[in-house]
Amino acid sequence: MSSRGGKQKKGNVTSEQEEEEQPLQAVLVADSFNRRFFPISKDQPRALLPLGNVAMIDYTLEFLTSTGVQETFVFCCWMSNKIKDHLLKSKWCRPTSPNVVHIITSDLYRSLGDVLRDVDAKNLVRNDFILVYGDVVSNIDVSQALQEHRHRRKVDKNISVMTMVFKESSPGHKSRCEEDDVIVAMDSKSKRVLHYQKTQGLKKLQFPMNIFQHGSDEFEVRHDLLDCHISICSPQVAELFTDNFDYQTRSDFVRGILVNEEILGNQIHLYVTQDGYGARVSNLQMYDSVSSDMVRRWVYPLTPEANFTDQQGQGCTHSRHNVYRGAEVSLGQGSQMEENVLIGRDTSIGANCRISNSVIGNNCTIGDNVVLDRAYMWNNVHISSNVEIHQSVVCDGAVVKEAVRLNKQCVLAYNVVIGPNLSLPEGTVVSMHHPEEEEEDDDDEFLSDDQEVGHSKDKTRQKAFNPAEVGPEGKGYIWKASMDDTEDEELAQCLWGLVLNPDPESDSESEASEESQDHSRSVSPEIDDVNAFQLEVLGTLQRGLEENIVCDNLVLEINSLKYAYNITLKEVMQILTRVVLEYPFQQQGTQLTTLQYTGSLLPKCNEGQRAETVKE
Amino acid sequence: MPGADKETAITERIEAFLADLKRGGSGTGPLRGSGEMARETTYLLRRITAQARWSSAGDLMEIIRNEGRRMTAAQPSETTVGNMVRRVLKIIREEYARSRGSSEETEQQESLHKLLTSGGLSEENFRQQFVHLKANVIEAINELLTELDGTTDNIAMQALEHIHSNEVIMTVGRSRTVEAFLKDAARKRKFHVIVAECAPFCQGHEMATGLSKAGIETTVIADAAIFAVMSRVNKVIIGTQTVLANGGLRAVNGAHSVALAARHHSTPLIICAPMFKLSPQFPNEEDTFHKFVSPHEMLPFTAGEILSKVNVHCPVFDYVPPELITLFISNIGGNAPSYIYRLMSELYHPEDHEL
Repeated sequence: MSSRGGKQKKGNVTSEQEEEEQPLQAVLVADSFNRRFFPISKDQPRALLPLGNVAMIDYTLEFLTSTGVQETFVFCCWMSNKIKDHLLKSKWCRPTSPNVVHIITSDLYRSLGDVLRDVDAKNLVRNDFILVYGDVVSNIDVSQALQEHRHRRKVDKNISVMTMVFKESSPGHKSRCEEDDVIVAMDSKSKRVLHYQKTQGLKKLQFPMNIFQHGSDEFEVRHDLLDCHISICSPQVAELFTDNFDYQTRSDFVRGILVNEEILGNQIHLYVTQDGYGARVSNLQMYDSVSSDMVRRWVYPLTPEANFTDQQGQGCTHSRHNVYRGAEVSLGQGSQMEENVLIGRDTSIGANCRISNSVIGNNCTIGDNVVLDRAYMWNNVHISSNVEIHQSVVCDGAVVKEAVRLNKQCVLAYNVVIGPNLSLPEGTVVSMHHPEEEEEDDDDEFLSDDQEVGHSKDKTRQKAFNPAEVGPEGKGYIWKASMDDTEDEELAQCLWGLVLNPDPESDSESEASEESQDHSRSVSPEIDDVNAFQLEVLGTLQRGLEENIVCDNLVLEINSLKYAYNITLKEVMQILTRVVLEYPFQQQGTQLTTLQYTGSLLPKCNEGQRAETVKE
Repeated sequence: MPGADKETAITERIEAFLADLKRGGSGTGPLRGSGEMARETTYLLRRITAQARWSSAGDLMEIIRNEGRRMTAAQPSETTVGNMVRRVLKIIREEYARSRGSSEETEQQESLHKLLTSGGLSEENFRQQFVHLKANVIEAINELLTELDGTTDNIAMQALEHIHSNEVIMTVGRSRTVEAFLKDAARKRKFHVIVAECAPFCQGHEMATGLSKAGIETTVIADAAIFAVMSRVNKVIIGTQTVLANGGLRAVNGAHSVALAARHHSTPLIICAPMFKLSPQFPNEEDTFHKFVSPHEMLPFTAGEILSKVNVHCPVFDYVPPELITLFISNIGGNAPSYIYRLMSELYHPEDHEL
């Protein structure tokens, strides 16, 4: 009893101390729940794919550790055994690691929402935590954002639920993923998110007016943000995901919070960083960009020669023009590594090769007269002579025979052989897994049991390789972007990012969707009235122009309309301004006179309103 | 049991130190200066000496050499770490020699006479065990730590001999040693200081703020104005990151242009560098000499599309050849650059030059 009393007295002090002493936690989702990297990720989970000869999950863990996280929960679903093995062998699971890594696997996760529901169910997080995906590459120091987040929560009593970390970057930058492009309306002073919309594919954007009525007077609408997919979440986030079963992704969550703001009162803030680099490898286009950014040292100190994973033999030397060479690399005579090249250890390169902007893994063999430009080769790749590779990915164990030309955006998956004298057209994906294998093995997708995979391999061997596609000595099947999805989406998702499908229906579809959005919004009768009022005002203005009615009469008419439709003063002014501004667009022609006319109308209306308020 | 605990504790400390070295510094160098880095290294080495398991001096030297190699591999541009490791190795050799009873001086100097007379007896195994070796080594390391603590003050004490009234002194970027040096002189003399800001990290701004708080008249200039202003300058005093074995410097980028401008106007160039920055490296190591950091200091990310079309580099260090330097001021006094080789032979044993 007495101890409880004592605790209560000291309650404030100890709770603050406890908050500061509690280790910073992070939730790392090592599964992307989509198939952007299929068929590469059929053999290896996305988090273990090498970027600059280091698995992507290592970058994420290094980012978390260097920002001070002391406890990380890694959630794996697809091929969790491989991820677990990798982590147990890495420096993160050594007893001396400052970051304690717990690996949680389950086959039932289907989305980020499921993971967070599990976090809530298992009660894993006690305090604010950092939420990232397993393929985030970053060197941002989140402690500043964390401080702001904690301060906000203390000041506002837990209203702020999440702080999203964005990086300031101009729209043309190639590290901006087009699929993740957002436009955000925010309150400049409190950095609160007022409106959040993905802009991919949209030509027109709409902002609901009520977001600007929150009492602050400084707003920013920003399109120069790169989504780092790093969020600082409060424990309430996990609870909110449990409450709302249809939240699957972070965008759902953000939209849900913004829509339900009046009911729940939760807010989302954002933190924009200018220094520091953060990006997520969500498709192969981003893989290309992030890889080249890493080689050009934008992610310092996570550079190739730093060997931050502490692996034996992984170190390399950094020379001029960002050329990195691992141990025991042999270069033939006349070969040039022009710029931004990373070569793994034990690789041998033949004579007269020209390599630029590429990453080559360990144990590769490259023949003579090879031209590599923006080629990403993983380990144990064998490339014969006279080969040209442009902007392509060649996975482990692949063999490229003589005189092959890989045009842009090709992908050769594991163990594929491409026969001599062949030129692969742009965007070809070749894999040892047959594309039809997908439909047969739908149930087996999430099983990592090796025996099952072996069975499916036997089935595919029965189907012959097509020499016209992969060359006379080739092995592999060509994957085309699946045609079933294009009926639902206007944009086909291929590995390299979005490809605009030249679908004539797409424009009408987007319009239809906009209209349906309008309809859904105009459900409440109030908004119906407002629309009707707007139409009436427009009609009045038109008549006024045509018949050259005196301004005062128009003002009188608008005032009576105001009472008829029960519109507030503020709304009248808003709608009137809007109509006046939009009017010239509808009447092309006598623009100047219209402007003069309506210009004189507005101040008179204003005076009228002010008089009204005095009376009231 | 306690031994195992101690070992894991040490390994943890070492791992933490290595991780710090790798991550440390997102710009001009670690957020802590070289002096702190040297002190941290020495503390760590003292702990290893105290807690690691070793029986003879040879074992201890092997352990320290291995750890030293790991530490220098973690961040090759941070030479103070390697320097401290070499100092400690030299201390161990000295203590061993003293314990054996033979006088130090004849052992150290290699001369023709020695080669003729000693023959095969000069093989040192370091295998003999001495009871008090551990205590002696730790005491000597403590003396080293005291010396490290006093370096800045020792250098600052010499300020009055070099700075006279109404002089115009130029400096580049920010150096704690030079700041202390100038502040000490400012107590008794009145002079002007011109600080070159040293883009892109612009540490000259902090230096200028610090100096003006001490009451010194300070002017900040852009790097492009260095040559123009040099005709008015009496002395150039700069700090450095490393002093190389040939007397040259690895200093902050921009130092070479200052040195050339000073040579053109025959202005003396004085370097304030404590002894722990002296490194047995020569400037021809192509790959580890330079440190390139993130290009966002030069061309920020917001530059947009152009970034995919240009290569941007952001080096941190610069080489200054010894011919351009007039004087080194260190905690043991002032020396000419041509004397550096001699100082080095007193600090480090030739066999330790390559860890």
